[in-house]
Amino acid sequence: MSTQQQVSPGTDAQGRTQLAALERIVKRLHGSNNVASVLLWLITGLITLFFVAIVVYLLVQGVPYLLNPDFYLANGGTGDVGQQIFNTLYILVLTEIILVPISLAAAIYLIEYAPKGPLVSIIHFAAETLSGIPSIVLGLFGALIFVSELHMGFSRLAGALTLLCLNFPIALRLFEDALSSVPNELREGSLALGTTKWHMIRTVVLPSALPGIVTGIVLSAGKIIAEAAALIYTMGTANPANVVTLNPLIGGDTLTVHVWYLKTIGAGFEPPSVANAVSAGASALLIILLFLINIVARMLGNFIQRRATAA
Amino acid sequence: MENAIDDTLQEKSPSTLSTQRKYVGDSVARGIFMACAILVIIIIVGVFLFVGISGLSTFSDPHARNFFTSTNWNPQGTPVASFGALGFILGTVVTTIISVLIATPLSFGMALFMTELTPKWLENILRPLLEIFTGMPSVIIGFLAIIVLIPWIGTIAAPLSPYPGEAGSGWATAIIVLIVMILPTIISISIDALRAVPNSVREASLALGSTRWQMMRKAVLPAASTGLATAVVLGMTRGIGEALAVSMVLGGSTNIPQKLFSLGAFFQPNINMTLPIVLYFGNASGTERNSYFLLGFILLVVSFLFVCFSRYLASRSVYR
Repeated sequence: MSTQQQVSPGTDAQGRTQLAALERIVKRLHGSNNVASVLLWLITGLITLFFVAIVVYLLVQGVPYLLNPDFYLANGGTGDVGQQIFNTLYILVLTEIILVPISLAAAIYLIEYAPKGPLVSIIHFAAETLSGIPSIVLGLFGALIFVSELHMGFSRLAGALTLLCLNFPIALRLFEDALSSVPNELREGSLALGTTKWHMIRTVVLPSALPGIVTGIVLSAGKIIAEAAALIYTMGTANPANVVTLNPLIGGDTLTVHVWYLKTIGAGFEPPSVANAVSAGASALLIILLFLINIVARMLGNFIQRRATAA
Repeated sequence: MENAIDDTLQEKSPSTLSTQRKYVGDSVARGIFMACAILVIIIIVGVFLFVGISGLSTFSDPHARNFFTSTNWNPQGTPVASFGALGFILGTVVTTIISVLIATPLSFGMALFMTELTPKWLENILRPLLEIFTGMPSVIIGFLAIIVLIPWIGTIAAPLSPYPGEAGSGWATAIIVLIVMILPTIISISIDALRAVPNSVREASLALGSTRWQMMRKAVLPAASTGLATAVVLGMTRGIGEALAVSMVLGGSTNIPQKLFSLGAFFQPNINMTLPIVLYFGNASGTERNSYFLLGFILLVVSFLFVCFSRYLASRSVYR
């Protein structure tokens, strides 16, 4: 409108064409804006729909098997995964027992002790590189070092040590975040009272960072449960007669390895209907576990945030 | 300096003894923590060293000299074994590049949507979904692809394939599986990159009268470009190393298709670099075993280069 008023009466026709041109530009811009918005909605909608469909399909396929108590038997018969569930939990606990102290100690060093310098950047670079290594390559490394050179054979210990290498960088970063979220005033207050650094860390920093540390443990648990490629050649794909022991030197397969085994190199050993049933059930179980892990981690995260904003 | 303190402490009352013990404890704790931190470096050096040595000793066998030049993989061949791994490498290059090319625009689209357009309630649904898919076990995707995707593609693509019965396995299915695997990774890193662009950039662009789309395209995307490139590079890193899901759907053994430059090459059993490691490493020995280490070493070096590249990009980005 204002454009029209500014135009002198003599050049009315010229003004009108200018106005029309402007309107065309605006229309084009709004048009492309609308097209882009619709496109973004569409892309997001399709991806989301795709993901939701995958989850729903797996649950629909698998949950009926989960309701059958025979599915959880651990006698190694066809169609039950009790052994694999036990192995998964065992390897989860064993890995966390090794992983948490080591990566927490490394995080404490990096946050509390280490002077800023080349060592810290080298460690961070090493951690970043390690987190980019394909898990199958770490599986090869584990098969070479732990299984062959250190004579552990296909064993839970070799599997757990390989998973340590795999999850170290992730756990390290999560623990570092947890520790660095502790405000410096707390540290200074404690040190001003004359405590040593280690005493300060034990009594002040670790308790305040606890929710973050637990979140880190929970998230790394999700990674451990989901891993398979690194375990095939470190823990093996076959179970001994009795898996329900605490012996770390026996091999065994986890849920994920079992699903892979049934569908590839072990495809002939069980009838396809049984293999499909077991795979579907195991997949549903894994998804439910991952959902639970995600929810727990999220709740802890909210708890931390509430506390941080309340303080 | 520390010795001087220790000496003065020793001359004093017994209560200083406990102080001294505390200081010793402190330095012991420090030493242990430092050792744990250095363990990361030891692991990464160990991986490079041992996988590298085992892998490169492949070349001590004269039959393995054709590793990078031939596509004839026949490690137990008589009278002459052949270790041409070019076919495996080709498979990984083709599947990774195509899946990244398809996944990147989709990921950027969804990441833009989630940072610029999403209502809060929708974001609360999409974020957990993305996180779950980032950590999704690859075997589950592989299993799903076997029971759903392979029969489906097998029916559709049968006329294109030279082996109509096996049209479902191969590069095409592997590419779809890889897209599902790398989408969540690229999306979540892209979201972080877009979030790192300060709101003042958006406000400045809108204040100049641009539409929302102009603001995204001309202000936000360029400002986040290095972060977005990092996302793509890390997605590729995930793609080349993806082993189980892809090996489940590729269905090949050791040979690439006869007619490589045809659409049919995507719809028949095929190979990539992780497939032989996953399937044959367990029973291998001698040069054959070393050659699987060499394949692993190549994956290792490439992912290392990708990580270096992503670090370089990150160091150049304005907003973090």
